[in-house]
Amino acid sequence: MVEGELLLKRLLSSDAKAELLTLFRANPGLVDGIDGVARRIGRTRASVEPEVEDLKRLGILSKRQVGKIEVLFLDRQKDAEVQKAVERYLSKVGRSF
Amino acid sequence: MTNRERTGIVQLDEMLRGGFLQRDAVMVAGTAGSGKTTLGLQYLVNGATKYGENGIYVTFEQLPDQLYRDALGFGWDLRALEEQDKMRVVCTSPDVFLASGRKGKNLLDPYIGEVQARRIVIDSMSHVAMYVDDKDLRKETYRLIMYLKTQGLSSLLLFEAPQLIGAVGPLTDAGTSFLVDSIILLKPVEIESSIRKVVGILKMRGSDHDKNLREYEITSDGIVVGSSLSGYEGIMSGSPRKLQTVEMAAERFSKSFTGKARKG
Repeated sequence: MVEGELLLKRLLSSDAKAELLTLFRANPGLVDGIDGVARRIGRTRASVEPEVEDLKRLGILSKRQVGKIEVLFLDRQKDAEVQKAVERYLSKVGRSF
Repeated sequence: MTNRERTGIVQLDEMLRGGFLQRDAVMVAGTAGSGKTTLGLQYLVNGATKYGENGIYVTFEQLPDQLYRDALGFGWDLRALEEQDKMRVVCTSPDVFLASGRKGKNLLDPYIGEVQARRIVIDSMSHVAMYVDDKDLRKETYRLIMYLKTQGLSSLLLFEAPQLIGAVGPLTDAGTSFLVDSIILLKPVEIESSIRKVVGILKMRGSDHDKNLREYEITSDGIVVGSSLSGYEGIMSGSPRKLQTVEMAAERFSKSFTGKARKG
């Protein structure tokens, strides 16, 4: 499987992950703890925790420490790279992104 | 002459005798729909586009994409300003905001550096107040104001005033109005069965300012401040009464006896 296909499958592996991606891409200035992020898509911390971890592994979400709270934010550069890879794959298989 | 931070709203700047004093912390208190967010955005957009003073908008409840959309309605393209590194819209939770600065870097430090910010709007302090005990609110507000001043920022701190119509109650519960340098009040009033809006400057430390209440409107270009609301008394009560001139009083007096209007 090519990189783009793998990425696409991973990004769309759950509703929660798709909602997180939509949230952060529409609001690139969002910098919040996991509880705040979950609340903003109407979910609980437990339901988004594994998805957030995966987006962190992909590098789309970054973290930093603010006091005792770990905050999450969109890594715009990495996200653009991921989007390009997916776009390349989709154009290869004949669909526009 | 002291350097002023112009809002770019001409008549408001006149009321402020040129604008806010640099690095001042300004409380903007108003009810829902009074235009606090619009004023905040207008202050930042004008700062970035007219005066070379970049800014940061901090929002707790409203997501940035909604702000982008609402701002576009006034012709303000916040996304474009962000791309030009003239502005940042930061969305976070009050608990994160409060944790910031206790240990390590402040949440806002990177954004201040990225755009070399001179102005900031916090929308709103009422959200912060929900996460702090009353006894700590004044202390936390003081810490925030001092951080902003240390960073060289002039700030608008938005406060939600609970009463829609009626007399002005205490603006905040914990006496934070004593900490800020200036207070701008945005208030709806009922005049002849219609809701109109007035703006007043309740306090401006170290500067003269307009003592009159002026009417304002939220137009497609943002807030436009008009002339002072003359001819009325009791405006702060929310239900002003028309001031009676000697002629008007004589007219009423005459009518009450004869049932007819006075001649000449």
